[in-house]
Amino acid sequence: MKWSGCLQCTGENLRRRDFLRVGSLSLLGFNLSQFLSLKDLMAKAGPPRKAKATSCILLWLEGGPSQVDTWDPKSNSGFKAIPTNVAGIQVSELLPRVSRHMDKLSIIRSMHTEEIDHPEATHYAITGHRPNPTMQFPSLGSIMAKELGQRNGMPAYVRHGEHDDWKGYERYFGSAFIGPKYAPMVVPDPDRKDFEVPDLSLPKGISLERIQDRRSLLRIVDRLCRQKEEVAEYSRMDSFTEQALSLILSPEVKKAFDLSHESEKTKEAYGRHGFGQSVLLARRLVEHGCRFVTAAGYKYNQWDSHSDNNEGHRDKLCPPMDQALAALMEDLEQRGLLDSTLVLVMGEFGRTPHINPNNGRDHWPHCWSLALGGGGIRGGQIIGASDERGAQVAEGMVTVGDLYATLYKAFGIDWEKTYMTPVGRPIKIANSIGDATGVPIEGLV
Amino acid sequence: MFRRNAPEKGRRVGLGRLGALALGIILAGQGGDSVYAGGSARPFSFPREVGGILTKRGCNNQECHGSVKGRGGFKLSANALYPRDDHEWIVQGGVYQVLSPEPLGSRKPRIDLKQPENSLLLTKPTMEEPHGGGERLSRDSADYRTLVEWIRAGAPYGREEDHRAREIQQLEVSPRQPVIRVDEEQQLLVTATLAGGLTEDVTDQINFESNDPEVAEVSDSGLVRARQPGEAAVVIRAAGRAATVVIGVIRQPLAGYPQTSQRNFIDRLVFAKLRRLHILPSDPSDDRQFLRRVCLDLTGTLPPPERVKEFLANDRPGKRDELIETLLNSPEFLDYWTYRFADLFRVGKSVQGFTKYSRLYWEWIRDGIARNKPYDQMARERIAAQGYGGPALHYYLIGGDLPSPQDMMGEQVRVFLGRRLDCAQCHNHPYEPWSQNQFWGMTAFYGQLTRVGDINTGTAPYNIILDDPEGHGVLGKGGPTVHPRNKTEVQPAFLSGEPAGQNAAEDPRASLAEWMTSPDRPEFAEAIVNRIWGRFFGRGIVDPVDDFKLANPATHPDLLAALAEDFRAGGYDLRQLMRRIVRSRVYQLSSFPNASNRSDRTNYARAHPRPLDAEVLLDAISQVTGVPERFGTKPEGTRAINLVSSDMYPSRFLELYGRPNRQMVPQRKVEASLGQALHLLAGSTYTGKLSGKGSRIDRLIAEGASNAEMVEEFYLAALSRFPTAEERGELEGWIEGQASRQRAAEDLVWALIGSREFAYVH
Repeated sequence: MKWSGCLQCTGENLRRRDFLRVGSLSLLGFNLSQFLSLKDLMAKAGPPRKAKATSCILLWLEGGPSQVDTWDPKSNSGFKAIPTNVAGIQVSELLPRVSRHMDKLSIIRSMHTEEIDHPEATHYAITGHRPNPTMQFPSLGSIMAKELGQRNGMPAYVRHGEHDDWKGYERYFGSAFIGPKYAPMVVPDPDRKDFEVPDLSLPKGISLERIQDRRSLLRIVDRLCRQKEEVAEYSRMDSFTEQALSLILSPEVKKAFDLSHESEKTKEAYGRHGFGQSVLLARRLVEHGCRFVTAAGYKYNQWDSHSDNNEGHRDKLCPPMDQALAALMEDLEQRGLLDSTLVLVMGEFGRTPHINPNNGRDHWPHCWSLALGGGGIRGGQIIGASDERGAQVAEGMVTVGDLYATLYKAFGIDWEKTYMTPVGRPIKIANSIGDATGVPIEGLV
Repeated sequence: MFRRNAPEKGRRVGLGRLGALALGIILAGQGGDSVYAGGSARPFSFPREVGGILTKRGCNNQECHGSVKGRGGFKLSANALYPRDDHEWIVQGGVYQVLSPEPLGSRKPRIDLKQPENSLLLTKPTMEEPHGGGERLSRDSADYRTLVEWIRAGAPYGREEDHRAREIQQLEVSPRQPVIRVDEEQQLLVTATLAGGLTEDVTDQINFESNDPEVAEVSDSGLVRARQPGEAAVVIRAAGRAATVVIGVIRQPLAGYPQTSQRNFIDRLVFAKLRRLHILPSDPSDDRQFLRRVCLDLTGTLPPPERVKEFLANDRPGKRDELIETLLNSPEFLDYWTYRFADLFRVGKSVQGFTKYSRLYWEWIRDGIARNKPYDQMARERIAAQGYGGPALHYYLIGGDLPSPQDMMGEQVRVFLGRRLDCAQCHNHPYEPWSQNQFWGMTAFYGQLTRVGDINTGTAPYNIILDDPEGHGVLGKGGPTVHPRNKTEVQPAFLSGEPAGQNAAEDPRASLAEWMTSPDRPEFAEAIVNRIWGRFFGRGIVDPVDDFKLANPATHPDLLAALAEDFRAGGYDLRQLMRRIVRSRVYQLSSFPNASNRSDRTNYARAHPRPLDAEVLLDAISQVTGVPERFGTKPEGTRAINLVSSDMYPSRFLELYGRPNRQMVPQRKVEASLGQALHLLAGSTYTGKLSGKGSRIDRLIAEGASNAEMVEEFYLAALSRFPTAEERGELEGWIEGQASRQRAAEDLVWALIGSREFAYVH
């Protein structure tokens, strides 16, 4: 059953609130049996199943990895297929470590998206909507932050990877009309020596006493205007300032961001590179209460292997990803976090099945692969299939909307929800191709 | 209709919602097979009569069958806007699909010609069959009998000439601007002007709905009951037409409403409404509040301490007007409005693709502001741009390829007409009279737009934009525009529906530009005056400023019309428009509320504090501290508002305060956030900028300024006022007690630039 259109009419509202008003149903001429059958239907549609996932880590492979050289090995890859710890599932030989954790991960080999260049495709992958100059859409992370809320005083949504150069895509990861409250906190590359989370600790020479002095001066300066004007935003800023101060002063929060609490062995396991350390930091953050953490993706379009695809995947791209992902799955399991932490590994599209004159592979949204696991997602599954060259979807096409719906279901979020924009346009949180709402992937959740 | 005499209109929404849901799960398909029998006993007009009943009874309400996809497999057009379609869905049945002209599954008529009383169209709303929408019609009503007769007559659509004569052209509500007291009632009367020229009292054919039942609720018969002070819009719907009337609710009339002094038509119209609503305007602003406000609003720049002192000491009566003229002609005005329009028109490296393109485009904007180019001319240049040059470069989207024609069209309409047509891309707009055909007719103006040459691949030294009906563009998309629903080629047609005609074939966008900016229609001028007004008051007369629609009526329609007319008559002169606004008494009111206007937000009874936008706030911090911001390789001292491609310069501060990325039409809204608070306490902008080479603190200390002088100068620089005696006493005393003057000064400046008084225009 699907509802669309107006938010007031979505099933969401009915499930959550209107059932409380059974008494008023008789006014509509409803009888009890009709009501009960309605409730049955609702129960089938909704997500009353106990959801396991509480946090999500996105390993963002910006630029788009080659499906045939990673999750969907084919004869037109320069690399062999290797078996995994799940009988019948093979991955590329570039993922030897991950192959030993295939029981915890599932692969979707039939992703189909609609945008062919990075900006549009990134927008599409991260918001579920094609870009539109008249509209800004909230990102997956912001939607999760809104639906799940904060935990343990930690920021709900953290994004690693401040691009050094052109920042064209950053806003796609933002919250758009659902409000700055759900925008990500952005942290730099944790492998850098000078790694520090901006604005989370007092600058040198500023003691707590000095902050208190400053705040009492602020009260003097602001007194006049606050006495005479009544502005709700002023008091909102006050409460944010209180919250900010407690974040800055909280040893727990500081600890969550502090990789020095990890053993050298763990750091080595994830890999001494930006990718590995960001994944490790992501694990620390979800452990401490963050809801959605985007890891990796430091180098703008790093997976964009238009030339020397094979060397790139073999020497630079796959090894750190293989290492960090394998370490993460193992670590989550050992810490008992696997059931509550959903891991999603994807870029914005795949790459051409053929090799171009520069020995590279170009953009390919028509059929590509990604991996996900944990958070109650069944592991060791292959979803969909591509044709023999990994060029087109052969069976079980999965859209970004379906992927989102799957994630939402794992978190107990109603995937059929729509958000209303300030001008009254309903926006699906799991938007699929052709005005459809995404459908959770059977077999995974 | 259920709850016909419902005393609590507000609850109806909730019940209706639930009802609509239940409807959805009870599948359609109860209708008997039917064979058409013809012959009308009397001439029926389906659009007017049946459409009228479906509207009055709320059946085609946008929350029920009038929603985009209908409800429960039954689709109607909202307000019976498209009666032909409605007739088909009723007489032939079938389930509407958004992206296809074909109905889903088999069609079962919703009427039974042999046994009219058994028609689904009747058994559902009378609840003989379960109906999620509840009882909407009783069997003993006149409407029920009309529907039975209509079906018995063969369910005719009727003759066009009958429709034309009876078609409602206009709805008028009386009283036009009702103001009533809490707990009072007011009956609305609705008169329709018919196409044939007659007028008709249609009050009993109207669907009434209040947009704020907590302020004023309205019964099905149009009886308004006031509940609490404020304003509520009552939407009035009849077949194919809708109108709104705004109900003012007051607690009690003020005895002896005072005379208010007026300077221009803005004051006359705003104060007249305040008088009607018995709200008193605040006092005029004092000089310091006015000075800071007008400087920030016209130039995005704080007045330097010397100007503040001079202005406050000056006692010439015309000094405010003199200041306004100085600001309108200042270089900062040019900087600031170039930035504002670069925001609206979306200048950026990531938008135009190359810095030389964004610079050319930016220079075109700047030149227009510098020369005070008439705004309609600017609009025409942008809409009709061809070739290689400033305004033509705005067509590039991220990726470097042309955006789709429908996106380009939608953006122009939103920017220049203040309307959002997006909904109509996939289906008729659910509650505005914009059809999918109109959307694609407008889109067709862009269908031939082609990009010739590609700088990336070297096929041309630069990209050229032109209209190419044959679609020869190297990378272009030129070619016919195809309607997505019926897959037929669409010819360019204006939003009004009239075809573009022969002239458009040569240069379609030129004729579109003429049409959009034509002085014969109010939309173009209203959109820009509303947008500018919104800048100066923090709220548009229609708000959001680019969302003109029926369901979002203007708070002051007469003011909007008068501003637009003045703007047109004055030759689309932006400076003159701003001059009118800032010279008005209304603009110059104080931000301090009085008892009667404390809770008012929409009537301009006082100035409402507005947060400074990211770039302006950052520039102001640099100006007060004396420590400029570094933007990449830009020369030291470059202001944030002067960055051509702002998106090339990462800035934590600007992100935190909501700098838009310009890939979409900006919707700036500075809202307090945790990130801002963290940055205020620990961020580089608020700590690193306090002292440093050339800072104001260093200079004052080097000059041997006393504590009093220091406090005074920072107050003048940051807040454009002298400190009060109380503030002086406390702050000077505090500095006195500190071991380090440097540190004390830093803390003082931190407090000033972190204050709400600083971060807002008051």
